[in-house]
Amino acid sequence: MFRPIASIAATTVGEAIRRKVLLIILLIGVLFLVVAPGLGMLSARSETTVLRGMMLGIIQLTSAVIAIVLTVYMIPNEIERRTIYTILSKPVQRWQFLVGKYFGAVSALLMMMTLMTSVLVFTFWLQQRDASAIPDLIKAPVMYFVQMSLLAAVAIFFSTFVSPLVNFFLSGGLYLLGSLFAPFFQTLQESQGTPPAAKVFAQLINTILPNFANYNIQNPIINPGQQIQNEGSYYLQVTVYGVLYIAGLLVAGTIVFDRREV
Amino acid sequence: MSMTSGINRTPLIGAIVGCALGIFVLQNGIGNQPTGKQYESISETLKNGNTRTVKKLKSGVATPAFQGISSSWQRDFNQGTVETQGLSPDQLLFALAGFREMIAGILWVRADSFFDSGNYDAILPIIRLVTVLDPKQIDVYATGMWHIGYNFTDEEQRSDRRYIPSALALGKEGARNNSLTYEMFFETGWMWYHKIDDDYSNAVTWFERAQERPDMIPARRNLITNAYERDGKVDKSLDTLFKLYETAGKKAKEDAAFGNKQNRDTLENKLDTTLVRMVQRGWFAGKDGRPLTGYDVNPPFDTGFSAKVTVTEARVLRFEGTWNVLPVGTRIRAVLRDADFPNAKPAGMEWDFSNDVNLDPPRDKTFMQEQLFVRNQRFNKKVDMSKDPTMYPFTSKDYVIEFYYNPRSAPPHIQDKFSWNGEGFTDKNFLNTQVREGQRVMYTSVKISKDQLLRRGDWREKVPVIKTANYLDKDGKAYNQADQVTIDLPSLRAN
Repeated sequence: MFRPIASIAATTVGEAIRRKVLLIILLIGVLFLVVAPGLGMLSARSETTVLRGMMLGIIQLTSAVIAIVLTVYMIPNEIERRTIYTILSKPVQRWQFLVGKYFGAVSALLMMMTLMTSVLVFTFWLQQRDASAIPDLIKAPVMYFVQMSLLAAVAIFFSTFVSPLVNFFLSGGLYLLGSLFAPFFQTLQESQGTPPAAKVFAQLINTILPNFANYNIQNPIINPGQQIQNEGSYYLQVTVYGVLYIAGLLVAGTIVFDRREV
Repeated sequence: MSMTSGINRTPLIGAIVGCALGIFVLQNGIGNQPTGKQYESISETLKNGNTRTVKKLKSGVATPAFQGISSSWQRDFNQGTVETQGLSPDQLLFALAGFREMIAGILWVRADSFFDSGNYDAILPIIRLVTVLDPKQIDVYATGMWHIGYNFTDEEQRSDRRYIPSALALGKEGARNNSLTYEMFFETGWMWYHKIDDDYSNAVTWFERAQERPDMIPARRNLITNAYERDGKVDKSLDTLFKLYETAGKKAKEDAAFGNKQNRDTLENKLDTTLVRMVQRGWFAGKDGRPLTGYDVNPPFDTGFSAKVTVTEARVLRFEGTWNVLPVGTRIRAVLRDADFPNAKPAGMEWDFSNDVNLDPPRDKTFMQEQLFVRNQRFNKKVDMSKDPTMYPFTSKDYVIEFYYNPRSAPPHIQDKFSWNGEGFTDKNFLNTQVREGQRVMYTSVKISKDQLLRRGDWREKVPVIKTANYLDKDGKAYNQADQVTIDLPSLRAN
């Protein structure tokens, strides 16, 4: 049952690392990481704070673009190039095809993010000569990986029924919304001026939306000094949250993809 | 060719429902989730000397059975609760980018050029944007608070006090978002102590919160003793001085750096002076229930306040009057405001009424506050509000003119007679013990109409003059002219 999934995933990784557009995005991200220590001087803020904030920002932004660009074309391209017929004529179920594609995308993403994180660690160490801060710094890219895996699942779900261009904006928009909503959710909930109906609506949105902000754990890393309570337990919870959401999206994607005529 | 595949959807839908339930529980938790306001930040000093803060539930708040991700994230990872009022969508979107600290830093550099060119209005949105992008940038909060509170002035350098609630709101937000360090607590306290220069209990509260932070620098710690004095808590001030002096002495012994010795000497000097003043002002005698005969504060000195306000031209007032205190240093507060100014209170307003940093204060409301400087027992000040129509719009129908003097704000050489709480202070006609609970202040007020202030309608040819019954001119005569109409300033006791 898992062999077809592994084969499709391996092929997908091969395709992904040969796609020039992804390599260019990755290269730009890596270049920015390398020059980041120099850009910190432009700001009036503490250089270490800016450096940490900027480097983590570069990894997050680059990974998000890669995750979306990588996944929005996966299913539509297979249909357009008619290669899907060759695959589905073999003993491969549609769900196996979808899951294989997803795992391939996530594996490619993992490779690219590992490369960027290595550059981050090396550049940070070169600039700061402080190895003690590195374990804390790495926590953020690890959580970003779960975040991007969730984003890839969102994009692959949409790719089963919308065109790549629409999917690009839909997934990107959902990512923005899922990242933006959480910081203002509390303000909305605690504000006495917010009508009760709006509070209920906000609670609903906060529950339904894939909450990408859960993985934005960089603030205590950029501005150290706060002790995080039950840190390990929090990371475990958000990972389980991500896995459940991804599973739900893949199952939903399978249902949609199964009904689709290709 | 078309291909479809038939799978049994029921277990799949069941799996989706199961996932959704799991997601719901993980995200929202089980039981009542605490809100941000139900946490308090507790600072701890580690063995290596570093400090850190832990957010703990306030006492009495129940711990939920299972804390959801949403609540945990808000507690530990959210950069800070930011009031969103007044932010445009593009400003909100900026906060999404992963380069918040960088952009905030660059914007702050840009704001510096606006400071240099005197374009103060342009700085306000930058301050707001920078604090949203990077709520940990304390310099911006501190500078922004000072800028909003102090730098918006009229042509005669009078502060636009309509901005002060916003400055305080910014200070409170800064303290909330930077609870690990003392700075914003101190800055907010300073705004109460120095700018508002009244309601000293608020200054004490904020300074006390700043004292709780271990990183507070020694010289700033000392200021709380002055705040205690102005709040009428002289004994607390003395206790604190002794404690600070003891700490400073130990520190100077451990490390004989110049700064440490200087701080110890400063505290010693202050302690000596305070003790002498407490004796001379009869504080110890009063505490022991002994008569105050022979002490500087006895008998209370009658300041003999009198005043005359002439509307010389439209929006131009001349304040004249007497104050029998000979030494230089008295400043009497004069306020002209809308009769229905929101949150107004005698000779001021409820400054701390809002948590919103509103960079656009009520433009249709007028609030003028001036300090009348007394020299040779008289004051004489022209207040021209005609050049600043945005600060003094005069859109209301009725206004109030108020005079106020609080011995707690007096300089020490005058307090040597009046004492800290006005024990040696009185005014035959205008002593008031109501407007500031438990304090002896001078206060009086009168209503004046828009027509009178703008010299229009019936008042085009007549000069409105507001006068206390006891007002006498320099040559000692009651002043009356044919074209002037006198409005009496009320007093409980004046004839």
